[in-house]
Amino acid sequence: MSELSPYLADLPRLAPELLLTALALIVLVWDLVLRGRDSRKLGYLTLFGLVGTGWLLVQQWHAPTSTAFGMVVIDRFGTFFKLFTVGALAVVTLFVLSDRREKKHGVGEYFFLLIGAAIGIFFMVSTNNLVLLMLGLELLSLASYALAGFHKGSKRSAEAALKYIVFGGLSAGVMLYGISLLYGLTGTIDLAAMGRNAADGSSISLAAQFTASPVPVAIAVVLVLAGFAYKISVVPFHFWTPDVYEGAPTPVTTFLAVASKAAGFAALLRFIGALFMAEGVEVAVSAYAQRIGLLLALLAAITMTLGNLSALRQTNLKRLLAYSSIAHAGYALMGVAVMTSAGFSASIFYLAAYYLMNLGAFGFLLFFEGVTGSEDVDSLKGLGWRYPLVSCAMVVMLVSLTGLPPTVGFYGKYLLFYESVDAGYAWLAVVAALNSVVSLFYYFRVAKALFLTTVEDKPRVLQPVLTGIIAVLAVFTIVTGLFNRPLQEWANAGPASLHIPAAQK
Amino acid sequence: MNVPTDHVLALAAVLFALGVLGFLVRKNVIIVLASIELMLNAANLSFLAASRHWSQDALAATHQPSAGPIFAIFVILVAAAEAAVGLALVIALYRLKQTVALDGVAELKG
Repeated sequence: MSELSPYLADLPRLAPELLLTALALIVLVWDLVLRGRDSRKLGYLTLFGLVGTGWLLVQQWHAPTSTAFGMVVIDRFGTFFKLFTVGALAVVTLFVLSDRREKKHGVGEYFFLLIGAAIGIFFMVSTNNLVLLMLGLELLSLASYALAGFHKGSKRSAEAALKYIVFGGLSAGVMLYGISLLYGLTGTIDLAAMGRNAADGSSISLAAQFTASPVPVAIAVVLVLAGFAYKISVVPFHFWTPDVYEGAPTPVTTFLAVASKAAGFAALLRFIGALFMAEGVEVAVSAYAQRIGLLLALLAAITMTLGNLSALRQTNLKRLLAYSSIAHAGYALMGVAVMTSAGFSASIFYLAAYYLMNLGAFGFLLFFEGVTGSEDVDSLKGLGWRYPLVSCAMVVMLVSLTGLPPTVGFYGKYLLFYESVDAGYAWLAVVAALNSVVSLFYYFRVAKALFLTTVEDKPRVLQPVLTGIIAVLAVFTIVTGLFNRPLQEWANAGPASLHIPAAQK
Repeated sequence: MNVPTDHVLALAAVLFALGVLGFLVRKNVIIVLASIELMLNAANLSFLAASRHWSQDALAATHQPSAGPIFAIFVILVAAAEAAVGLALVIALYRLKQTVALDGVAELKG
């Protein structure tokens, strides 16, 4: 018993994860007991559980950084992303419940899979241990594959899921091989130990290997980054994104575009932060980090350009938002590429903004799928006058996605541009600014379709829950844009808890 | 018989390359999924080779030789789960389209 007690003592620190796991199992079993009848109850139960998880996470925010079981790091960086994941999941659950095209019965697994994916996210954003990182990532991926193919009778849904798992499997294989090389080079699977300098006598250090065997290190790092690039859909691992986002059910697309992508970014930030930027890394490592940064900057520039240019010629709104999400991955990657503490903060802030505006944009998509049954931009014509509240909220989202004031998207982009110029990547800021101009064209095509034509009257379709969510998100988008100080302080807590020294030059 | 670590790592690299090649050139979804398994197993082999290297007496104290096999076991688990989901999706698609060729699925384009 005495040997067991330290393990039991660590359990309370995993309370949010344990609550989610219990919730997932209850939802699964209850769905079996109900035999697929009355799935809405399971949705309400999921919401209830998520509120509880959120409350536990808020408690953890104020607790000091600690490590449970030597693997799970509980710090503000992880808690920040967990809170946003819970929020996004709650919105997605409401989306599922108010999706007019979704069946009302027999969709209990929907909630089980969503919670499972969230558990994966929780572990992948809060660990320095590569085994746990891989397991969290795979738990998220496996749940996502099943969710993408949720509409079994639909050819598009089945095709989306198959493409997702085939490319997902490739990226998992590539990433794991990269991790195995990292393990072979350093003899440890703990990122913090890998990044630590070799001054303490042990040779557990990537720094020692940079000079001894630079080529294997480069291969290993690039392979692992490729795995992350797939999750956040960065060029050249983006090609699955439009197909999967278009074919998957819209609430699932929302989850993939928002929660899954942000979680990929969180894991990437922790990986790079621990290996290359933590306090006490050697000069050789910092120099190496600059080269990785240049690679990421190039990828960011290509990703945002390709995303925006492809979005220009889309007529399907869902596909347009998919390409737009690729472009936004490029913007958020700017903050990672500059390899400074402030750059990381800017990236985290931008991801928070990304949560808000994309949840709103996809909510709008779901709303109009319910009204018109179509995803085409053209089918929106004149609907702005009939559904003024939702449409005005969408215009706010579009303004924010473009990066114009007074929205949170503007401030996020301002931070990213400022940090990249500050770190000597002025060209990247110029490319990003030009991209924002390009994105204006396709975002405002949607606004134009909504308001610049009128159509004959048809009976209005009321969707009060969706309307409410979209309106609230629009208000948040403006309010956090105007009063960005609290959100920025939360974002700044991230790099601090990753032990990245501020003002590293 | 003691096989040098370099040789095992080279075998793992060849297996990985074969997996990537199979993924890129084959069109049958089941073969593609099998290629992914090959890549995962190449990673496993390389984990085990590294683990054997770090378990030498002089190194074992400062490194984690046990991490390699533990990682490999979890990779096997992940590979099994991925195969289960992957084949389920293949069956779902086959029921709709009566084909398991990647070229045969092209509803989503642009």
